[in-house]
Amino acid sequence: MNYILLGIIIIVYVFILVALSWYAYRGTKSASDYMVGGRSMNSVVMALSYGATFISASAIVGFGGMAAAFGMGLQWLCLLNMFMGVVIAFIFFGKKTRRLGSSLGANTFPQLMGRFFQSRSIEIISAAIIFVGMPIYAAVVMKGGAVFVEEIFHIDYHLALLVFTLIVSVYVITGGMKGVMYTSAFQAILMFVCMLILLIGLYKSLGMGFTEANRALDAMDALVPAHLAAAGHQGWAKMPLFGSEQWYTLVTSLILGVGIGCLAQPQLIVRFLTVRSSKQLNQGIFIGCLFLVITVGVVYHSGALSNLYFYQEHGKVAVEMASDIDKIIPLFINEAMPNWFTILLMLCIISASMSTLSSQFHTMGTSVTSDIYVDGIKQGQAPKHFTKWIKLGVLFSILISYVVCYMLEESIIARGTAMFMGMCAAAFLPTYFGMLYWKKITRQGALWSIVSGFVSCLFCIAFMHQKEALALGWCQAIFNKPVLIEAHPFPLIDPLIFSLPLSAIVLVIVSLLTYEKVAKQK
Amino acid sequence: MFGISDPGICLAYLLELACLVFGVYYGIRYWNEDDEEETLKQD
Repeated sequence: MNYILLGIIIIVYVFILVALSWYAYRGTKSASDYMVGGRSMNSVVMALSYGATFISASAIVGFGGMAAAFGMGLQWLCLLNMFMGVVIAFIFFGKKTRRLGSSLGANTFPQLMGRFFQSRSIEIISAAIIFVGMPIYAAVVMKGGAVFVEEIFHIDYHLALLVFTLIVSVYVITGGMKGVMYTSAFQAILMFVCMLILLIGLYKSLGMGFTEANRALDAMDALVPAHLAAAGHQGWAKMPLFGSEQWYTLVTSLILGVGIGCLAQPQLIVRFLTVRSSKQLNQGIFIGCLFLVITVGVVYHSGALSNLYFYQEHGKVAVEMASDIDKIIPLFINEAMPNWFTILLMLCIISASMSTLSSQFHTMGTSVTSDIYVDGIKQGQAPKHFTKWIKLGVLFSILISYVVCYMLEESIIARGTAMFMGMCAAAFLPTYFGMLYWKKITRQGALWSIVSGFVSCLFCIAFMHQKEALALGWCQAIFNKPVLIEAHPFPLIDPLIFSLPLSAIVLVIVSLLTYEKVAKQK
Repeated sequence: MFGISDPGICLAYLLELACLVFGVYYGIRYWNEDDEEETLKQD
């Protein structure tokens, strides 16, 4: 490792972040500037920042590692990321959300829902769900970044985590939403360029082209380790066996959980509130799709093909090279790529983590301060120096996420992300969709849907879904069995598959039952 | 196709390409298009 080059690159990188934060700090005069960037961000900054927030180190390190284990089936997630996360999100959700947010003067996602339904309960409950669930997601993103730094530079994990958190904290606390968006846009450009270089480096290290490499990977089916084959793995260029354990994990947790869950992510939805008009969202679709196909598409593709690389070099496949799935991509990059590129990719992955983390910290901070403290406890009476209070909220959220990070188990990055996205989708998606498109939606319907979606998702995590239920051990302690329904395939189905339809059904039934009464009162 | 024998994987790559083409087309086609109400306000 060339430490002089590394030092220079890191100094330049941090200098750019500081400069952007300073620029954002100077442009942040009001609470609205701090929370939604004064609703005046341009399309390029908005789309790049949206993409960078969407793609965390979790997507690169965690899901890249999953692609190394599961194979090219993860490309379905890339498709859903593009289609649901950009096309559907921007066209069908973004435009209406922006108009609604602007007319209601909402600065956060819980505030948007609370003001739409004229209900403080909805705002506070939504903010509480975000504040309870998001530290887990933030912690896995922090772990993703720190694991990468540890693996590449062989430095202490705890030191890596501390420095990493401190840098993000500084620019989120000082620059607010503008700081988050400017730095995320810069980080997105870095990620885009790095992933393009990774694609070229991948084929150079393999010594073959796209089709030839795919064919070679397709011919490696016999090398699938016995424990993976028993779970339904059929090869890295094939989908898992339909109905097998791997199929359920891949399709229900990783592809659907994240693919659908991304529509109801508060830290992404708030991006729609930062632009002046729908024109910026139209332009953002072009930028967002291009960004996602290069970033996630390349990393999932590289993850699967890392099996071919490791086999050529060591006679082993990826999961045999690293026991922790989260360490496969860092190991692959460290071995297969030139030194200078390893440094650049380190910055890319750190950027991916930082951009997502900064948005998460900002969302948690505004939820706890603006939604819970001001709108909930203070009944809408904003205190003096409101921006300083939000900054305190952000600091509080950072500390909680930092503590949660030390409680995480191994190979948690991708699963933790899927869990949070599923939780958000179950709690918020039916209400969010209904709010934009269904005239008969009522306050009671929304409230019951949010609560039932969140509670049922938690219940399924603790008592139904095998991976989490076994780790928590509550089901074993209470019912004396590992999961409540042991018949196949129930223990393998992601909680989202149960809780999202339940939340939607509750929304429809309660809204229809209360609509007439509400209409008469009006 | 693409050296991959499983149609389930090929389809994912093809749809990604289609989605990208749509995103590029939509972005360019409506680059300067605003909401009707926004346009009216500006007028």
